[in-house]
Amino acid sequence: MKKKITYTVFSILLFCISSIASSNSNQLLENRYAEILTKLRCLVCQNQSLADSDADLAQDLREKVRSMLERGKTDEEIYNFMEERYGSFALYEPPFNKKTIFLWIAPSILLLFVLIFLYYRFFRSQE
Amino acid sequence: MKRFYIPFIIFSGLIVFLASGLHNDPSVIPSALIGKKIPEFSLSTLHDKNKEISSEDLTGEPFLLNVWATWCAACKEEHEFLVDIAKRSKIIIYGLNYKDNRTAALQWLQELGNPYKESLYDSAGNVSIDWGVYGAPETFLVDAQGVIRFKHIGLLNEEVYQNMIKKLLINRQE
Repeated sequence: MKKKITYTVFSILLFCISSIASSNSNQLLENRYAEILTKLRCLVCQNQSLADSDADLAQDLREKVRSMLERGKTDEEIYNFMEERYGSFALYEPPFNKKTIFLWIAPSILLLFVLIFLYYRFFRSQE
Repeated sequence: MKRFYIPFIIFSGLIVFLASGLHNDPSVIPSALIGKKIPEFSLSTLHDKNKEISSEDLTGEPFLLNVWATWCAACKEEHEFLVDIAKRSKIIIYGLNYKDNRTAALQWLQELGNPYKESLYDSAGNVSIDWGVYGAPETFLVDAQGVIRFKHIGLLNEEVYQNMIKKLLINRQE
């Protein structure tokens, strides 16, 4: 009798632990899924992310992302998948390359110009 | 007066730059597949569930791939032009039937004429995603080597079509 109780308690415990563990990994996948969707643009309604959009294509692409995650693809692979098909336009964070270099460095250059301008305006003119 | 020159020049430059952006159509996304091989796929045809066509079957001759569906209103408008070029030109046109109903699509071709050598039946839309399709109509120009040369988003017309043919000829001379 005692043995039976121990066995039952043990198996219940085991069941709890395994379900917690699996829900944790599910939760992890779910978090990644949610994050990836906010970083991908819906091609049909362009100012919405895949997470926000109700367009037919967005639903299909969400399904694609989910199945890729379930197959163990990395985030990188999923972003590449989208970029290969729809271009870097599909990414909310544009990559740094020859085409986008101006986009990335223009704000710093502009800031530099303003600082130079201010310097001459306020410090040099007093001398 | 002189100190106004530089800001004025910068301002004019900005105006020209921004004004040129006004004429771009934001719904037209340049294809990421230009200059690349067509994506690999295998699909059944619209007319015959058991007949499979793969990407390899398409290569060898230049062709147009037109993405269409019966739910797409603009496709109906475009269809007449496709039937017209299929009649007068030798170019092969394949249809990619995108997320459609087979019966409705077949009926549409019977009523409006069939400009396509074959229509591929992509009911799930997976192959279309591989082609970077995000709406209909869209038309791809593929050369004899199976490389995508051009993509047109929206209605096809005479001007766009002539432009496509020119691209194909330039490519042949190279």
